[in-house]
Amino acid sequence: MSLPSSAPILIEDLTVAYGDQPVLDGLTLGVGAGRITALLGGNGAGKSTTLSTLLGFTRARSGRVAVCGIDPGAAPDAARRHIAYLPENVALYAHLSAVENADYLLALSDERHGRAAIVDALRAAGLQERAWDQRLAGFSKGMRQKVAIAVALLRAVPVLLLDEPTSGLDPRATADFNGLLSAVRERGTAVLMVTHDLLSAADVADEIAVLEAGRVAHRVAACGPERFDVRALHARFQVAA
Amino acid sequence: MTLWRHELRLLLRQRPSAFALVLLALLSVAAVATGMAEVARQRAAIAAIPAAQAEDIGAVADYVDRTKDAGSAAYYSFHPTWDAPAPLAFAALGMRDVAPYMLRVRALGLEAQIQDGDIFNPQIALAGRFDFAFVLVFLAPLFVIALFHDLVSGEREAGRQRTLDALPRGGAALWRRRTGLRLVLLWATLGLPFAVAALAEGVAFGVVLLVLGAILAYLLFWIALAALVGRLRWTSVANAATLAAAWLVLVLIVPTLGHVVIDRLVPVGQGAEIALAQREVVNHAWDIPRAATMRRFYAAHPEWSDSPPLGADFHYKWYLAFHQNGDEAVAPRARAYRAALERRDRAGRALGWLLPSVGVQALLTRLARTDLAAQLAYQDRIRAFHARLRSFYYDYVFHDRPFGRADFGRAPRFDDRAEARRQSTSRAIG
Repeated sequence: MSLPSSAPILIEDLTVAYGDQPVLDGLTLGVGAGRITALLGGNGAGKSTTLSTLLGFTRARSGRVAVCGIDPGAAPDAARRHIAYLPENVALYAHLSAVENADYLLALSDERHGRAAIVDALRAAGLQERAWDQRLAGFSKGMRQKVAIAVALLRAVPVLLLDEPTSGLDPRATADFNGLLSAVRERGTAVLMVTHDLLSAADVADEIAVLEAGRVAHRVAACGPERFDVRALHARFQVAA
Repeated sequence: MTLWRHELRLLLRQRPSAFALVLLALLSVAAVATGMAEVARQRAAIAAIPAAQAEDIGAVADYVDRTKDAGSAAYYSFHPTWDAPAPLAFAALGMRDVAPYMLRVRALGLEAQIQDGDIFNPQIALAGRFDFAFVLVFLAPLFVIALFHDLVSGEREAGRQRTLDALPRGGAALWRRRTGLRLVLLWATLGLPFAVAALAEGVAFGVVLLVLGAILAYLLFWIALAALVGRLRWTSVANAATLAAAWLVLVLIVPTLGHVVIDRLVPVGQGAEIALAQREVVNHAWDIPRAATMRRFYAAHPEWSDSPPLGADFHYKWYLAFHQNGDEAVAPRARAYRAALERRDRAGRALGWLLPSVGVQALLTRLARTDLAAQLAYQDRIRAFHARLRSFYYDYVFHDRPFGRADFGRAPRFDDRAEARRQSTSRAIG
């Protein structure tokens, strides 16, 4: 597969190892602007390491990684200015309200937005108005994700990295979240979503890449006329896992 | 809102952190207030001396004026000495709470008078005085531990560390900012009450800055230790337990053991033993020929040997002579006692280069002039004053000059500042 060099997320022939143990072995992957790629794979396939490398937490042994043209290994802070990242469990500050959490995370992103902009983003992320000024203690995972998505929306970064965003969400919350992701895509954001949730990936992604032994073993379109057969992919994924 | 204000809000919204800072502020204010009250009490006691002295001397003068006996004047007159607290004494009371800061002396044997006062008040010595030095040296590290033990591990355990690290102004800059904020808050909590009190007490600006620097350095030591433990990536509970153990070792156990070792290596007798030995020599004088006492005295003090010979009756010059003989008999022991105390003090200060807790306490008591060196310097001033007192009374007693009411006004008066000036001049001359 040929990747446009302007793609916000670009990984070419990436090798990462922890000691003598290779985790990624010749991984090549790209996500263009306004596209959602779901990265599937069994435990230890290298999904989280891929995100770590894009965030500059893990150094590549060889190959090329670029976020909006910036090597996160060489310039992690510069690369992170273009990335919004949602970990599997979005943990925010329980003793701050949703608005205050968003305000703080935006400040840590070197961005300033007024309350009006923040509540607009929270509304756009689907957080109910009565929760805006409530302390986060007692918020569900879905509600916390909405706060984090609101921050990502306000930051208007070109890259969104998601780590198991729908694990632990009920079907309604998953559908809400996928709706949000579609809205993010409409803004031209490149989204890379690491997930075990094939159905959710099939619902929202443009492309699904299946990682095996540190490289992409299967790549299928998740929308359009070449859309894959979910049952067939599920069967193949089960074999791979 | 700047990131610093965000961080401040975040910190103060955490109840344990806010509670810790408020508690430390209250302890600092209470310690400073306690120290100021104690110093004010000591100053008031010293200020009351002239009136009490005038009353005492008035009573003695009524009697002496009738007999004109200089010996009675020397025997019955007490002369006050005092060690006025330095401006910084409120912050580190040091030995002022256990060693005397006022002593009334007579022209008799001095060693017994000085050494009788070296017996510490065990009730106070056991508990220790609650002053600013105590809060800084013993309590402040616990607050550093409270605020720093989970600086990074807390975020890791809450699942936020990766999110924070992934933000452009997260990562190392965030931890530096949070460390800086906590350091500034702790420093302000300790330093502000101290600085306000110090300026009110008239402490020199340079000394205030020096103490603020010492507070900062001490806090940085404990923060560095917390950061070092934090790098091990243990849990917050493990970090807290490790740091608490370090506090126990560095603030309590090692200094105590260090002082035990120093006490063993540098044995120091009791001042009371010197007082007892002096009394024995004095009492023995009643059992030996008076001529032997006077021969010994004149040999050491030929300036008084032109005194008329003793008659058959009691004469105070014999009494005063055997008291001075007693002092001189124990002088080598007194010098050895003092030298041992100084050696022990030097060893304790050397320990301060290894243990920040000991070092900071030694620095504060030195700056506040409440340490052993200050106590010994006060003793030196007493000795110098006592020598002048003896010389004054001897001139009357050994020359059989009558002593009237007006002569009391000619007696030397203790002035701690003048005595200190004389002391430094004599040191400079060598």
